[in-house]
Amino acid sequence: MRREIPLFITFLVGVIFLFGPITTGDVPLVGMQFREIVSVYLSPWTTIISAFAIGLASVNLLRLHGNYVARKRPGWINSAALVFSMLFFTVARTIRELRPADPDIVAFYSRIFDNIAAPLSGAMFAILAFYIASASYRAFRARSLEASVLLVAAIVVMLGAAPVGAIIWDYFPSLQRWLLAVPNTAGQRAIIIGAAIGGFATSLRILFGLERGYLGGE
Amino acid sequence: MNWAKQLQNIDRRIIYTILMIGLIVPLIWPIGIPLSTQEVTRSIYNIIEDLDPATDVVLLSFDYSPASAPDLHPSSVALVEHLTARGIRWVAVSFWPEGPQMSEMIMRDLEARGLTYGEDFIDLGFMAGGENAIMSFAQDSRVIKTDVRGNNIDTLTLMDGIVDMNDFAFVIGLSAGDPGYNAFIRQAVDPMGVKFAAAVVTVSVPAAMPFVSSGQMKGLLGGLRGAAEYEQLTGIIGQGAAMMDAQSIGHLIIVAFIIVGNVAYFFSKKN
Repeated sequence: MRREIPLFITFLVGVIFLFGPITTGDVPLVGMQFREIVSVYLSPWTTIISAFAIGLASVNLLRLHGNYVARKRPGWINSAALVFSMLFFTVARTIRELRPADPDIVAFYSRIFDNIAAPLSGAMFAILAFYIASASYRAFRARSLEASVLLVAAIVVMLGAAPVGAIIWDYFPSLQRWLLAVPNTAGQRAIIIGAAIGGFATSLRILFGLERGYLGGE
Repeated sequence: MNWAKQLQNIDRRIIYTILMIGLIVPLIWPIGIPLSTQEVTRSIYNIIEDLDPATDVVLLSFDYSPASAPDLHPSSVALVEHLTARGIRWVAVSFWPEGPQMSEMIMRDLEARGLTYGEDFIDLGFMAGGENAIMSFAQDSRVIKTDVRGNNIDTLTLMDGIVDMNDFAFVIGLSAGDPGYNAFIRQAVDPMGVKFAAAVVTVSVPAAMPFVSSGQMKGLLGGLRGAAEYEQLTGIIGQGAAMMDAQSIGHLIIVAFIIVGNVAYFFSKKN
């Protein structure tokens, strides 16, 4: 029964979610529509589970890096900084959530978020620009016909997207728009449809218990 | 040819230094390169221009974190400035944990300028659950009982008459990833017919284009360029326009290095 009960729950919940958007009548013996069962009983559970998932990830991270600090593993200073930052911001935000109308607490949290977390996050993301520049220089070489097409497309899109492209050549912006609107859209649609069909097939396998990886265990 | 081989293997520190100088100089000494406006940007502008300040309320979904803020926050500011200039009230919500802090930055500035929280705008905060949270909120926009300041939403006049997402005149998703515009299209646009547009980070523009072509999204602001175009349309110049010169120089530098690398490659192949 250890496997059968979770599989049955998966099937039942999956069927309710599946029929929710496509049926209108009341479910016999229940007296509610499938979509009402979803919104009243199931949706709050997904919200709760998502919140707990965030909490679980945080606890796991604290446990892992706390262990590094305790055992003084190489680089434990970085782990100590991580643990301190996580605890500090957790406590600060918790207090802010408990006292949302207190202007001093709101201002304090905003100050530390805007002046510490936000600039550091932005800087980490901005570093990618330099990696992209270096990677583009090394990767975009016209070694073959396909590589040449990619190279030309990359140059057209980069110059078409920036205002300076229109100054260099009038047609860069319209070429860039055409590339995005026609070949890119065609390719993206193929990917979206393929992914949707694959997702539907996987969902059916999960629904009927053929895919059991989510159960964990052996 | 030694020079050809050297040009194919330029030290990355040289690339980083040249790029850094190329990005910083235009920020200090702006060039003012003219910028054209794309139809996907103008569509959003026209929709907001046609809204009725007396009756219409707009929903802004702040679904990005500080990491994406340099690319996306200027679009948020540009949209809010337009709504404010037209006197249109708006409601903020977020399906990313850091989203409320991004909307708070904007609201703090508006309150300092004399606008009133609760009358001109409100923030419903973060709702966990990803796409399912978007579905819940789309079907019942009163599912969040209190706003970020602890007020019961039944006491907020801005939420009067708002039952589900269709009661918002326009919904704009400010998306840096998942959950984002994709989830809004699946859970609100297609099943309920919600009028929706999005501002996305630059790397998401190619993936978002099919939804603009199909009409599921009424418009699209793509990264910093989208913000700059929108600022140009509204006449309220902000960070978007200020950074476009830097973006232009940055793109030019990357293209120049690509061309140099390929020229050197061809010369070395020839020999």
